[in-house]
Amino acid sequence: MMRDHDELHDQELRRVAQRLGAAAAERLNVDRTAQAVLARLQAGDAPLRSPIRWIQPAWMRAAAVVVLIFGAGLLTYRIIHPTAQSSGRDSTIAVPAAGELAGFTSGQLQDVLAGLNEPIEVTPAVHAGEAGVEDLSKSQLQSLLQAMED
Amino acid sequence: MAPAEPAVLPAEDAQLIAAWQSGDERAATELVRRHARAVARFLAGAGAPEADLDDLVQETFIRAFRAVASFRSQCQFRTWLLTIGGNALKDLGRRLARRRVVPLDDRLESKDGDPHERAVASEMEERLQQGLTRLPRMQREVFLLRAQQGLEYGEIAAALDTTPGAARVHYHHAVKRLKEWLK
Repeated sequence: MMRDHDELHDQELRRVAQRLGAAAAERLNVDRTAQAVLARLQAGDAPLRSPIRWIQPAWMRAAAVVVLIFGAGLLTYRIIHPTAQSSGRDSTIAVPAAGELAGFTSGQLQDVLAGLNEPIEVTPAVHAGEAGVEDLSKSQLQSLLQAMED
Repeated sequence: MAPAEPAVLPAEDAQLIAAWQSGDERAATELVRRHARAVARFLAGAGAPEADLDDLVQETFIRAFRAVASFRSQCQFRTWLLTIGGNALKDLGRRLARRRVVPLDDRLESKDGDPHERAVASEMEERLQQGLTRLPRMQREVFLLRAQQGLEYGEIAAALDTTPGAARVHYHHAVKRLKEWLK
């Protein structure tokens, strides 16, 4: 009996649900809506017809893993080779400006080119704050002590 | 009694979609004509203010046509449209929440027919509408897809990316809560 009542209630609920929004939907001017949609599509809201149809989540995950591995590798490399990144910044090559080259003889130009081909010797810069007594050689220490005695 | 025919012939929708993808704009118009009222009914049932209904239906179709390449007939085109409509309504709700609160009186209300008859008929609808707005989104959409649109659980599950069993559970929770609300 109770179940019959429940089923009736369910049917009533469905009947009401089916009526929900029906009046508003009837009032919708479908032709006008279709025209508006078409106008918006023509105005630039065109569908994506790219050969790359849709980026699947699996591809996104794979790309994220690649980026993480690359990033971790780069970080490890920089930790292991800390000087590698600074060599480019600390070393400078004196290259004449284009205007200066005009006055050079062929021999001078060959010297310049030969200089460019030579490997760059990197001397790490020692800043005053970072240098310590332990960094000095024996002769340097001796001269420093002499200077202090004077 | 003749067996009930499906509301939409999927093959014809598929042909129209293919025609649209190859640049036939009349196919897009035909798809809007076919499904706009069903989308409007679903959106209205889910609580869309009538003033925004036309815009929401348009937005639903624009989004669908933009992403039509991702539609792989996992469900009917109409069901897919309804889920897109649900997302568009959710986005509208966020925008409205930032600007103003929509009073329930602004919701859909028939203005045709005898006022007394309309009042009696709409009382239950209005209460159901209010009850629906209090449900979690998943329960509300499953309820509407099942009770209003008459879809099977398998179809609902495919559209909402869940399982038929889970869709059934959502539906029963929704019915239970709505019954309590309507008491």
